[in-house]
Amino acid sequence: MTGLSLSISDLEVQGQDGRRILTVPRLEVPAGTALAVRGPSGAGKSTLLYAMAGIIAPVGGRIVWGDSEITGLDDNGRAAFRRRSIGFIFQEHLLFEELSARGNATITALYAPRRQRRGIRDSAEGLLGRLGLGSSAARRSDTFSGGERQRIAVVRALAGSAPVILADEPTASLDRPNADALADDLIRVARDDGRTLVTVSHDPALHDRADHVIDVVDGGVQIPEVLND
Amino acid sequence: MTDAIADLLARQPLWMENALILLFALLPILIIATLVLRGFAVWPLLSALLRRQAGVSMVFTALIAVSIGLGVGLIAQERGLRQGTARAADKFQLIVAAPGSEITAMLAAVYLQPSSIPLIEGPTYAQVANHPNAELVAPLAFGDSYENAPVVGSTPDFVEYLSEGLAEGRVFATETEAVAGARTPLSVGDSFAPQHGRGDASEGAHGDFEYQVVGRMPMTGSPWDRAYIVPAESVWSVHGLANGHGPDWDGSVGAPFDPRYFPGTPAALVKADTLGGAYVMQAQFNTDRTMALFPGTVLSRLHALMGDIRQVMSILAVVTQVLVTVGVLAGLMMLTRLLSRRLALLRALGAPQRFNFALTWSYAVTLIVVGAGLGLALGSFLTRFISGVITARTDILVAASLGWSELHLIGAFVSLTALLALIPAWLTMTRPVVRDLRG
Repeated sequence: MTGLSLSISDLEVQGQDGRRILTVPRLEVPAGTALAVRGPSGAGKSTLLYAMAGIIAPVGGRIVWGDSEITGLDDNGRAAFRRRSIGFIFQEHLLFEELSARGNATITALYAPRRQRRGIRDSAEGLLGRLGLGSSAARRSDTFSGGERQRIAVVRALAGSAPVILADEPTASLDRPNADALADDLIRVARDDGRTLVTVSHDPALHDRADHVIDVVDGGVQIPEVLND
Repeated sequence: MTDAIADLLARQPLWMENALILLFALLPILIIATLVLRGFAVWPLLSALLRRQAGVSMVFTALIAVSIGLGVGLIAQERGLRQGTARAADKFQLIVAAPGSEITAMLAAVYLQPSSIPLIEGPTYAQVANHPNAELVAPLAFGDSYENAPVVGSTPDFVEYLSEGLAEGRVFATETEAVAGARTPLSVGDSFAPQHGRGDASEGAHGDFEYQVVGRMPMTGSPWDRAYIVPAESVWSVHGLANGHGPDWDGSVGAPFDPRYFPGTPAALVKADTLGGAYVMQAQFNTDRTMALFPGTVLSRLHALMGDIRQVMSILAVVTQVLVTVGVLAGLMMLTRLLSRRLALLRALGAPQRFNFALTWSYAVTLIVVGAGLGLALGSFLTRFISGVITARTDILVAASLGWSELHLIGAFVSLTALLALIPAWLTMTRPVVRDLRG
């Protein structure tokens, strides 16, 4: 698997009141890179991540993943791009408690094309094993600890073989040992498979493990020269 | 096109025609389901949703089930009542009575309802009895009861005709013998003393006079099942009237009666030799002194009125069901707000808008279909229960059960509400993903 490169230019995102909440003049992320985004709360980190995922439509600028410009797509087109190319990990796991770990991990199979469903299930099964959840995959997800639930969410994001992983504060709700373990797992699995990883986080453990770190301050992105060179 | 479909249906066996109509009624939901669910596997999430909202789902389903159960139960009951009353009147081809209310005469003669109606006299009765088209003519003699069950005077021939052969024993041959209806408590060999009057108006026994039961009728599904049939002569005699026969009477009960000693009867029950003969007699005895009525015709007029009521009931049933469902769907709209974060999560993960649409619609339709199924079972139970109550209270055998028309109604209801369920499903597509995701 090969990750996708990311190219952002002249990006501008506005809030509901029309206020500018994020601008990114230029950001280039090579394919297969693990990028950490840090910054104070409310600075626009999650907004940047949602814009990268196409969940938020910017008012201006371009976001190009590989050779796909998602800013030119409508809502359904961006969702289709997410299905194909992006695995998303949320801060609060956001699992369906009534489903098993396996059910949550394979949830994208429910709306994937029929020919891809077997692949998603096989991939999820393998990832659950790699992350130590293979023997308990049939248990309801609300019976797992916080760290385990976040690992289920990681499997859900990775199971579709998406070339890009976007993670929003994936370790924020975990204690230190669990946060470290998850950071290791996330970076390892992304690198092993050659995926591009962008993670928004306050957690130094993730910053330390990432290839690059960028800062978002007051809706603006401060990018080290090396990343855009 | 419509004529072609009607023609196609008319050429099928009845069960096939009904099955096709049901399929036609269900066609909209089948088409919608095919279009909405195409390409998705919603069941795992749908079952999770049902488990998560188990309480609300059960309440919604119960509301739909009760509205459907009551609706189809009442409609089936009305049909059962109509069929029961028609069956009870089946044996009564023509009634000749004194001029007055046809309905009162029919209620008295067929359904043994206590009423005060004028009598037809001996010469008039003789004209009816001696009519060339009359195969069987029997008088009725009311006025007595036993343990609140009517004791009705008539003739042995009438008992034979009504029962089509007794279930047990023989027909009465003397003035002190009686035949018991199928649902009376007395057995062959038992005796009973008739009371003058009936119910609250009962005025006590006629001295030491007693009847002995010599035969029992089979079930007829009419109020006659709860009656005791005795010789008309004995009813007249115990009331101090002439017994219908002259001084040289040999004691054999039944026709012929002597017009000079005939005390009068509220109704003469007539079976004509042919249907044409019945119409001839009906025409001839509709005079200023008598009225001749076909109970079936009077009933059909009543049923026509009930038919109008049935249509109103059907419409009300559907309206009630739709209103309940609209209420349920309104509840679902609120529920989808509670589920908005989960639906937003699916969108953020890349689920198509149509997947959330399919999930919400299938949730609503599951409640509707399960509610309809339970409503069918409830309606069936209610129908049997109410039929039993009506049969016990009126002695008219009402054997109501749900039929194809109720299934058609439910099919149409399910399709209509499945269509309405598209609205809350559509509303989920307009929700703001980011705001819902952040909760």
